[in-house]
Amino acid sequence: MTAELARRWVRFTALGVGLIFIVFPLYWMILTAFTPRAFLFRPPYKLFRLDLSLENIRELLSATQFLTFMGNSLIVAAGAVVLNVVAATLAGYALSRFRFPLKQTFVAGTLWTYMFPPILLAIPLYLLLSGLGLRNSYIGLILAHVSISLPLNIWIMWQYFQIVPLSLEEAAWTSGASRLRALVEVALPSAFPGILSAAIFAFALSWNDFAFAFILQTDIRMFTLPVGLSTFVEQSAIHWGLIMASSALVSIPTFGFVFFLQRYLMSGLSIGK
Amino acid sequence: MASENRLARAAWVGTALAPALTLLVVTAYIPIVFALTLSLYYRTAFNPRLVWAGLDNFAWLIAQDALWAALWRSLVFTIGSVSLQIVVGLFFGLLLNEAIKGRAMMRSLVILPYLLPTIVIGLVFRWIMNPQYGVVNQILLDLGLVSQPINFFGGLKEAMPSVIVATAWQYGSFAALLIFARLQAINPRLYEAARTCGAGPWRSFLDVTLPNLRTTLLLIALLRGIWMFNKFDLIWIITAGGPLEATETLPVYVYKIAFQDFDFGRATAACVVMFLILLAASFAYFRFFNPTKEVEVGR
Repeated sequence: MTAELARRWVRFTALGVGLIFIVFPLYWMILTAFTPRAFLFRPPYKLFRLDLSLENIRELLSATQFLTFMGNSLIVAAGAVVLNVVAATLAGYALSRFRFPLKQTFVAGTLWTYMFPPILLAIPLYLLLSGLGLRNSYIGLILAHVSISLPLNIWIMWQYFQIVPLSLEEAAWTSGASRLRALVEVALPSAFPGILSAAIFAFALSWNDFAFAFILQTDIRMFTLPVGLSTFVEQSAIHWGLIMASSALVSIPTFGFVFFLQRYLMSGLSIGK
Repeated sequence: MASENRLARAAWVGTALAPALTLLVVTAYIPIVFALTLSLYYRTAFNPRLVWAGLDNFAWLIAQDALWAALWRSLVFTIGSVSLQIVVGLFFGLLLNEAIKGRAMMRSLVILPYLLPTIVIGLVFRWIMNPQYGVVNQILLDLGLVSQPINFFGGLKEAMPSVIVATAWQYGSFAALLIFARLQAINPRLYEAARTCGAGPWRSFLDVTLPNLRTTLLLIALLRGIWMFNKFDLIWIITAGGPLEATETLPVYVYKIAFQDFDFGRATAACVVMFLILLAASFAYFRFFNPTKEVEVGR
């Protein structure tokens, strides 16, 4: 029985080490966000504290451009979600319900774009959007985000429609429904969980993107949250309490997805970026 | 379906694929072709006229010591980061596979770093590993493990390993999830058989677990290898390629040619070089894992 006991101890220790490894950086982010300013520049720090305050959050929202950045992030993410959901749902339907020439080429082509270095896309997008006067615009950044999320979402929707049984649509056809009606009233509602996954991924990739927004948006009024936050470090008026408060706020959607919508994430996570 | 003729079906396919195809062409294919073309021209921000350069940009590039230094750092970064991600992934994959209490909670926690915005990970690591105010240094000093605070991201020798640790924290989850899924699929009888043959836990790990994980680990190494080779954002956020050029990998080098020297011809030529290296890796990827396999549910 000593072997079993040793195994339990190893398991227990590993669990503790693993928890600390993952949780500690996040714990420290949240603790710093709520630490009163007076204690921020006086190390050593207490590893636990209860004298928390909303001082940093209040200052972040009133004295910085956080809310402007957040507005930009939300607009761009919403645009990316709409384009992704429409395009990926229709493409997934076509791929799963029809046989057509060059189908394999189309699928391979979408996955290929997924392998390109983002910087290889960013340079020509920068030049093309500059030429069209679309740098520092919402639509330019939305299109850039679609380039990274659409291939993944076409894949998700194609996989999802394959598990929506064709027999449901066939039943609708035999009772006289047109293909369009069967699509709208039968196939789309059954594919809803897949559509929700595609929407979550489109949102998350857009919300999290740093590289494209950093290269395409040069006007501070058009910055999204990740780019805006990266400028905080260089500004002497902005201290680590504010930076951690903004980091914690930007992470809220991620916490929501992981703890409340996790089952919709699994299809995409296995091939995620 | 019988009522549909070929024309109607073709119209359906065309209409349904049109939005996706248009978006892919506009946002990916045209830019990529444009970038490939650009690598053969002189094109800077100061001279927007396209002048044919042939292979001059490539010749210039190959003569740069900075390119080879960046390629070397890219290899160190990619191999170091992917290896550490696999170690982290094995650790959490095996942990999740044990019938521990609160496994669902633990799985959520394991997924979390992977989905956090990169900016958050960059800023949090810069804060906790700060030489002056960082809590990691404070703990190391308190425990007596170091006598001087470590300049994690600012030290010439420390910067690359520190960035690698940050990437492993973010992307170890990806490896963990794939490894966990594979472990769940191993037939428990194999472990029973190993035990009846007198194998201890270590022996059965070597003889049952690892051989079963082989394909998964190869797949993770390939996919993550490609993505880490392309990694720009986290490195830029944490060190911007510094101190000096200690963390200047190829994507950072390309970014600097494009947006600090504003030489787009040379920058895209450097992208092409990166892409050719990746192309070889992609072929390997398609050999290991055929993503075009599908389940037919009708036509």
